[in-house]
Amino acid sequence: MLISLNWLSDHLNLNGLSVDDFSQRLTFAGVEVEGIEQKGVASDRVIIAQILEFSQHPDADKLSVCRVDGGPAGVCQIVCGAKNFKTGDKVPLALEGAVLPGNLTIRKGQLRGVESQGMMCSGKELGLGQDHEGLLILPADAPVGSPLGDYLGSDTLIEIEVTPNRPDLLSHFGLARELSALRGAAAGAAGEAGEALVLEPPHQVAVKRTDHLAGAPAVELPSEACPFYTARVIRGVKVGPSPAWLKTKLEAIGLRPINNVVDVTNYVLHDLGQPLHAFDLAHVRGGIVVRAAVEGENFEALDGKTYVLTPDDLVVADEAGALALAGVMGGAASGVTLTTTDVLLESAYFVPSGVRRTSRRLSLSSDSSYRFERGVDPLMVEAASARAVGLILELAGGVAEDVLVVAGQAPVLTGEVALSGDHVRRLLGSSISDDDISVILRRLGLGGPGPSSAGGAGVWQVPSYRQDLQRPVDLIEEIARVAGLDGIPSRTMAHFALPGADDASYDFALVLKTKLAALGFYEARTIKLVSTRQLDDGLGFDRRRSTPLALKNPLSEDHTHLRPSLVPGLLAVAAHNVRQGAAAVRFFEAGTVFAQSQNPKAGSTEAQALTVLLSGPHVPPSWLKKAPYASDLYDLRGVIESLLGRAEVRLKKIDHPLLVLAAEISIGGKVVGLGGQLRPARARELDAPDPLYVAEFNLGMLETLLGKDVRYAEIARFPSSTRDVAFEVARDFAHGQIEDFFAKQIKEPLLAGVVLFDVFTDDTGARLAADRKSLAYSLTYRDAGRTLEAKEVDAAHAGIIKALTTKLPLTVR
Amino acid sequence: MLEELDTLKTIALTAVSAAADEPAVEAARVEFLGKKSALTGMGGRMREVPPDQKGAVGAKLNEVRTAITTAIDEKKAALLAARDAAAVAGIDLTLPGRPAWRGGLHPLTQLQDRAVKILRGMGFALATGPEVETEWHCFDALNTPADHPARNEQDTFYFPNGWLLRTHTSSVQIRTMETAVPPVRIIAPGSAFRRDEIDATHLSAFTQMEGLYIAENVSLADLKGTLEAFYRALLGPKTRLRFRPHFFPFTEPSYEVDVELHLAGQPARWVEIAGCGMVDPAVFEAVCQQRGDRVYDPERVTGFAFGMGLERLAMILFGLPDIRLLIENDARFLQQFA
Repeated sequence: MLISLNWLSDHLNLNGLSVDDFSQRLTFAGVEVEGIEQKGVASDRVIIAQILEFSQHPDADKLSVCRVDGGPAGVCQIVCGAKNFKTGDKVPLALEGAVLPGNLTIRKGQLRGVESQGMMCSGKELGLGQDHEGLLILPADAPVGSPLGDYLGSDTLIEIEVTPNRPDLLSHFGLARELSALRGAAAGAAGEAGEALVLEPPHQVAVKRTDHLAGAPAVELPSEACPFYTARVIRGVKVGPSPAWLKTKLEAIGLRPINNVVDVTNYVLHDLGQPLHAFDLAHVRGGIVVRAAVEGENFEALDGKTYVLTPDDLVVADEAGALALAGVMGGAASGVTLTTTDVLLESAYFVPSGVRRTSRRLSLSSDSSYRFERGVDPLMVEAASARAVGLILELAGGVAEDVLVVAGQAPVLTGEVALSGDHVRRLLGSSISDDDISVILRRLGLGGPGPSSAGGAGVWQVPSYRQDLQRPVDLIEEIARVAGLDGIPSRTMAHFALPGADDASYDFALVLKTKLAALGFYEARTIKLVSTRQLDDGLGFDRRRSTPLALKNPLSEDHTHLRPSLVPGLLAVAAHNVRQGAAAVRFFEAGTVFAQSQNPKAGSTEAQALTVLLSGPHVPPSWLKKAPYASDLYDLRGVIESLLGRAEVRLKKIDHPLLVLAAEISIGGKVVGLGGQLRPARARELDAPDPLYVAEFNLGMLETLLGKDVRYAEIARFPSSTRDVAFEVARDFAHGQIEDFFAKQIKEPLLAGVVLFDVFTDDTGARLAADRKSLAYSLTYRDAGRTLEAKEVDAAHAGIIKALTTKLPLTVR
Repeated sequence: MLEELDTLKTIALTAVSAAADEPAVEAARVEFLGKKSALTGMGGRMREVPPDQKGAVGAKLNEVRTAITTAIDEKKAALLAARDAAAVAGIDLTLPGRPAWRGGLHPLTQLQDRAVKILRGMGFALATGPEVETEWHCFDALNTPADHPARNEQDTFYFPNGWLLRTHTSSVQIRTMETAVPPVRIIAPGSAFRRDEIDATHLSAFTQMEGLYIAENVSLADLKGTLEAFYRALLGPKTRLRFRPHFFPFTEPSYEVDVELHLAGQPARWVEIAGCGMVDPAVFEAVCQQRGDRVYDPERVTGFAFGMGLERLAMILFGLPDIRLLIENDARFLQQFA
């Protein structure tokens, strides 16, 4: 909302308050100042001067020495660089002490040895346009010696953002009332005298009342959405342009003047905060009824658009149909135009929720709906009407009927609130006195305190315009707001909370993330929303059982679902970095993944995932290794093993639509993740030059399995013996089968470890048949209590080999 | 024999000195000091020496053995020293090292962890809640009326079953109070979602950190002291804060917090960094009703809550011109924080 300081001065004496102070005061009243704009010339040290004579500067070709008449400021000598003037011209003169836009302060000085007592200005230098060619030549009737700002008009416009709980500030009068209360309250609390305030109470014109328009039935209010409606008839107006003062005021705050009657309603809205509407009485047929719209009723509004209404919408209607969308916008047909002679002026109270519903449903917002939907002051309804009638008579002539048509009555929305000083002090943690509390509340317009109720609470009467003040805590907020936080101590004594399960999960995730960073991966953080197409990139390890979660109202095609997996986001990160020329892509992400809950009443199943993505050279290329091989599945597995530390990781081959090499990753028989190589076709779409590997883990399961305390296992004190053996197997026989066999079938107590140390194949068939493979293992034997003898080891080793060769399709090489 | 020994010594020392490598020195040791060496043989001939010369010959034998032994040891040491020197000769220590991949945590994670560590040090524990929330937890319980603008489908992501993506981490306040009893002192970092077009200053999914402290007699003074201490620990001990009165449905009084930002070459300015306030009694009443007890009776407990946007804080702290840098995940961006 734009506030004009000139307009505000109609209500409040702003002398002695700089724009910065003003802005500061608003800020700490809870009103956000979003911008300040100077219009015209603000400094009264810039005056109108007349050039008496001028001559060439003795030492500078481009400068002139001028004698100018500054009226009360006397005759001044000014050195000037412009050439576009002649004797007798009237020009702006900035005297010593003038502050020009850009915070340029004018001082007396010497220019090439000649004294200059100020500066004659161009339009641009004064912030009055872009013309920098020469001095601003003023009309011949400009009064010499007067401040230029008075002649041209100047104003300061402040763009403010009022919080939704303070509709009483949505007018110049309301803001003036607040500022005066704050200034007075602050001064009062500090024991200083407040400044005199020009706070003109709104006009209150006593008129007779009636319940109907002349010759028409009584105004009907069948809907609870309008508890109070007034109308006043003015006959014989002469509609025409508004006078300059009114146009200037409206234009200053960005409104387009229309005609004197409409301008008056807009003026009163922005002056007093009460929206009004003027109808052309010639278009009102019969009596007024404020009713719910009929389903499908068409309404052509002032904006030229036709809206289709529902019974949720409230209309002001005559017997022919809707005249206005109540509180939102008038109708195209019944507005005041140049041909209007008789006016019906509406001033009413519409219930906020109804106006809000209509405004939102139709995406139709107006200055009027903005105020009604936040809540106007019921006691302003009649006052604003009276003020507008007075102005219309003054500007457009005509005669007002001496009766006010009234239906319903002004709702009473505020009442009494009991407040004790101890409650205030307890919640604020301050020692503010009962007297200071009373001063603040009284300055804010509250009446009281009334007699103390039990517990020492005084009873306060809340004014009609402060509907946000309903409970003791609402009053305490006001006290804190006005008193400020400077008087409140900074307390740091508190209970402490012990870390719990959420802390443990946070720490566990951070340890894994830090490990991956140390393993040469950057953490990515991607948006949790993905496109329908990206769902195919999902790798959630229970994806076969889960359905992705679709938004009802996505903002764009790119963000239609909550991510079921971190892989879609990381593939997009890989593609971005490949396009940017990255040699390798090594990223991880940890975060929430989502699926449709099995329970239709619940929202979603949420899990924490940790995902690694790997592609490109296995070490950074350098002078030491110019062409490192591209990372392969075993690099991915190495990373997983480093990441999971002491856990024994197993991979089991599975089929997966996204992966060409796919494995379930398990720890101790529990599947904790999925991983493998992305299908080459998908990798090509991402322009990835090398194979791309991904692995996704369920962080919660990892925490359950790895987050336990470690039990120490005794370190072997006696030497071990090793025996090597190589098996010949079919080419497609998996090492995992031997690994599993050792894990499940071999119970030899002396066997302490098995390590695969060689895998050999020969495509030529020279040293090994081409369809065969050699797997060589080193077996370690050890006893915790003694050194083993060679023959014991040999016997154990032979037993193991016999078991393997009997049960598995392999031979000893 | 004395002349013989002198000759032997000369021969041996010449041979040791001429030895070019360690095997040659070892060969010389075997030749001149070994069991079959002339010197050892001469030792065996001592009984042939007349008694009056035994002393002189014995001394000579020792002298020669010592001289040869010393020469061999020195030669070995010299050869080892030469080999050690050769092993590092020619290494240019100004050449780049054998590279390993660099990695690092995302700057937002680093910032979040800094904040978490400070607040844990101040006695807060972590809390979480679902990101897909009910309207009740996200709005109703937080005293946000049904026709509040934030509940519009223009501004909030909804699901067909009426659930929504939480618009703030404040819903964790409610989740926590549903199960925990006062005193409650928690922080909740996490995602929040708003139906905003993504541009240089907006994300549709962003990160907030919520704080909540509820106990008997928690006051605005506690809120002020806590946030001052936190931001001074995060941004420096001289950090100045100001509390601007504001409006949130779920706190009263409510404030927006600004910090004074000092950037090189720029005048100091205030930037908005958090929202906060005293928990509104209506929030406690909603929780009491849901729990079916009065442990959060607003007559008995009070509390403060605060919330801050971590992306915004990161932009301020790291000087980021565009919030999208934080979700683009360009390696050249991330490595600046590694």
